Amino acid sequence: MNNTENRRDRLLKKTIEKVLAEEKELLSWLKSRSDYQAELDYFLDITAARGTAEIEARVGRPVLNLLCNQVPLELIAAAGYQPVKVASGSLAEASFAAYSWPALMCPVIKGVLTKLEIDKAALKAPWVIPTTCDWVVKFWEARKMVDPSPGEVKFLELPHFRQETESQSKWLSEVIKLKEWLETVSRQKIARKDLLEAESALARVFVAVTQLKKARQEGRLSLIWFLLVIGSLFYDLPDQWAQKVTELINKLPQTATTGPKVFLAGSPIFYPNYKLPILIEEAHLRVVADDLCSSERIFPPVGPLEDTSIHGLLASMAGRYHQGSLCPTFGDNERRVNNILGQRNEAGLVGVIFVVLKGCHPYDLESSTIEMTLKNQGLRFLRLETDYALEDRQNLLTRLEAFRHSLSGD
Amino acid sequence: MTIKAGFDLGSAAIKVVITEGEKIVWRGQTPTAPGQEALAKSLLDQGLGELGLKSDAVSQVAATGYGKGLCGLAEIRIDEIRANAVGLFKLSEGQARVIVNIGGQDIKIIHLDDQGRVADFKMNDKCAAGTGRFFEVTARLLDTPLSEFSRLSEDSKESVSLNSTCVVFAESEMVSLMAKGAAKGDIIKALHSSVARRVGAMMNRDNLDEGVWLDGGPATNAALAKALEDELITEVKALDKPQYTVAYGAVLSLS
Repeated sequence: MNNTENRRDRLLKKTIEKVLAEEKELLSWLKSRSDYQAELDYFLDITAARGTAEIEARVGRPVLNLLCNQVPLELIAAAGYQPVKVASGSLAEASFAAYSWPALMCPVIKGVLTKLEIDKAALKAPWVIPTTCDWVVKFWEARKMVDPSPGEVKFLELPHFRQETESQSKWLSEVIKLKEWLETVSRQKIARKDLLEAESALARVFVAVTQLKKARQEGRLSLIWFLLVIGSLFYDLPDQWAQKVTELINKLPQTATTGPKVFLAGSPIFYPNYKLPILIEEAHLRVVADDLCSSERIFPPVGPLEDTSIHGLLASMAGRYHQGSLCPTFGDNERRVNNILGQRNEAGLVGVIFVVLKGCHPYDLESSTIEMTLKNQGLRFLRLETDYALEDRQNLLTRLEAFRHSLSGD
Repeated sequence: MTIKAGFDLGSAAIKVVITEGEKIVWRGQTPTAPGQEALAKSLLDQGLGELGLKSDAVSQVAATGYGKGLCGLAEIRIDEIRANAVGLFKLSEGQARVIVNIGGQDIKIIHLDDQGRVADFKMNDKCAAGTGRFFEVTARLLDTPLSEFSRLSEDSKESVSLNSTCVVFAESEMVSLMAKGAAKGDIIKALHSSVARRVGAMMNRDNLDEGVWLDGGPATNAALAKALEDELITEVKALDKPQYTVAYGAVLSLS
C-alpha cells in the first residue's frame, strides 16, 4: 500500500515537472513570435500564476471555482468571490489522470482532476457546477476520490430544452437558489447595489472582449493570442483586465494577416494546449470568429437591463446564461448553426473547422448535424478529432493544408 | 525536353516520378528511413541514370507526403490530398470522382468535382487501423509477402472473421485463428473484409454512384478491391501503378 502511494506521489511530482516544462516551452515560443508585443506580458504573467493562492493574492477576494459557462459570473462576483472557470489543456495533467480514470474520458476533466491534486487550495474553495455533459455531472464524484472530504458545492440543474417556458422558469429558480447558497457560504447578503456593480463590471469586460473580437476579425490579433488573453480573464479583476486589453488593442499593428477566413467551432481549447491553433496558422488559415466556450463564448453577450430590481436582474441573468449558451448538451441548439451562418456574411467566412476532443461526445454528435446543415448551405466544413497528444500533428496539418487549398479553389 | 520530378515522401515509402511534359518516363520507390532527402535524391539519380540523363536535366522538383518539409530540393511542396486528386484525375482521364487512398499510416477519402478539384475529403484519425501499416504487421505475422495476399485470398475456401481493424487486437485475433489451424488465405480474406468495413464506416454517407478509385500501395491488391466492392456496393477501380499517383500529382502541380 505504501509502495503504491509512494509511486503515485513520485508520478505526481514528475507530472508537475512536465506541466512546468510544457508551459515553459509554450511561453518561450510565444515570446519568440513575430507578433509578440510587450503588452502581452501582463496576460502571460497572470496565466502563468493561476494557482488559487496566487489569484486570491492578486485580486484580494476568495476564489470560487466553476465548470462550464452557464454559471452567472456577475452573481458570483456580487457575492464577493473571484469566479474561476477551472480547466486544463495540459497533456501532462491529462496523462497523469490515466493512473485512475478511464482512457477515453474527457481530457479536460482528466486534466482538472490532476490540477486539483497539484493546486490543493482549489480543492477547498467552493464550487458551482451546472449539469451539462455526463463528464461534468460525474466530476464531483470523481473529485471526492482526490479528496474524500468535499468542500462546498452547488449543482445547477440545467434544463436541456431551453425554448420551453417550464425550462426557463426552472432555470430561473436555479439561479435564485444559487444566490441564496452564495449568501450562505459567503455569510453576506447580496444587495441590489452589489448586483448592479457586478453587472457594470461585466459590461466593461464585454466591451473589451468585443474589441478583441474586432481585432481578430480584422487580422490584427491571431487566434493564439486571442485565446490566451481571453482565457486569462478569470485570473484578474474585471476592470483591471479590461484596462489591460484596451492598452493591448491600442498597440496592435494596423497591418492585417491574410489567408482564407474560417470559423472555429466545437470543443474548447485550453492553455497550454495550442496544438490546433498553431497548426491552423501553419496551414495559413485565419480564424476570424468562433463559438468555443473557452473563447468567444466564455460568457454570454451583455445587453441593456430593463428591470433593475433584484428579481429583474436575476431573471435577466438567468435568461442570458441559458438562452445565450451554445453548449452542445442542449436538445434544441439550432442557434449554433444560425450563429455560424450569420457570421458567414458578417465576417466573410468561407469555411468552418469543427474540433472534437476525443471523449467529448456531445460535440462529436453535434458535428454530424452541423456538417450536413452547413454543407447544404454551401459552406466548406472540416471536422478534426484529436486529443492533447502531439503525435497526430502531421496528420492534422495535412488535412488543414488540403482544406485551405479547397477554400482557395486552386 | 522538359524534365520534372515529383517526390512523395510517405510514412512507409519514398516514391519518385520523373516526367517529360506530362508523360511519366520513370518511377521508383524505396522504404522510408532516416535521411529522407538523401534517399529521395539517390532514387532520383538512379532514375536519371537509367534514362541516360544528368542530374542537372531536371528543371523543377515538387514534394508531397508527410516528409515534404524535409525535402530542400523541392521548389514547391503540396499536401498529399491535393496531389492525389490532381494525379488520379489526370491518370483516370477525368473519370475519377471518389478516391480511397490507403497509405502507410492513414486512409484518405477524397471527393473531386468535374474539374478534378478537391470538393471534400476525410481522413482517419491517428489510429492506424486499416492502413498500410496494418497490412505490414499482418504480413510479418503470417510470414507472407504482401504481393501474395491477393492470390491467397482468392484461394480461400473457409470463411473466418476478424472483428477488429485495430492493429493490436487484430494481431491477437490472427494468432488465435492460426492456433486453431485456419488457412492463411482464409485469414487474409477476413483481413480484407475487415479493412473494407473500416473504409465503409468512413464513407457511409457518401455518394458512390460513379464508383470508387482505390489508390496507394495496397491498391495493387485485387482481392482488397473486391472486398471493397462487396462492402461499398459499387465498382472499385485501380490504376496499374497506384503507389505513384501522388508523386505524379505533385509534378503536375508545378507550373
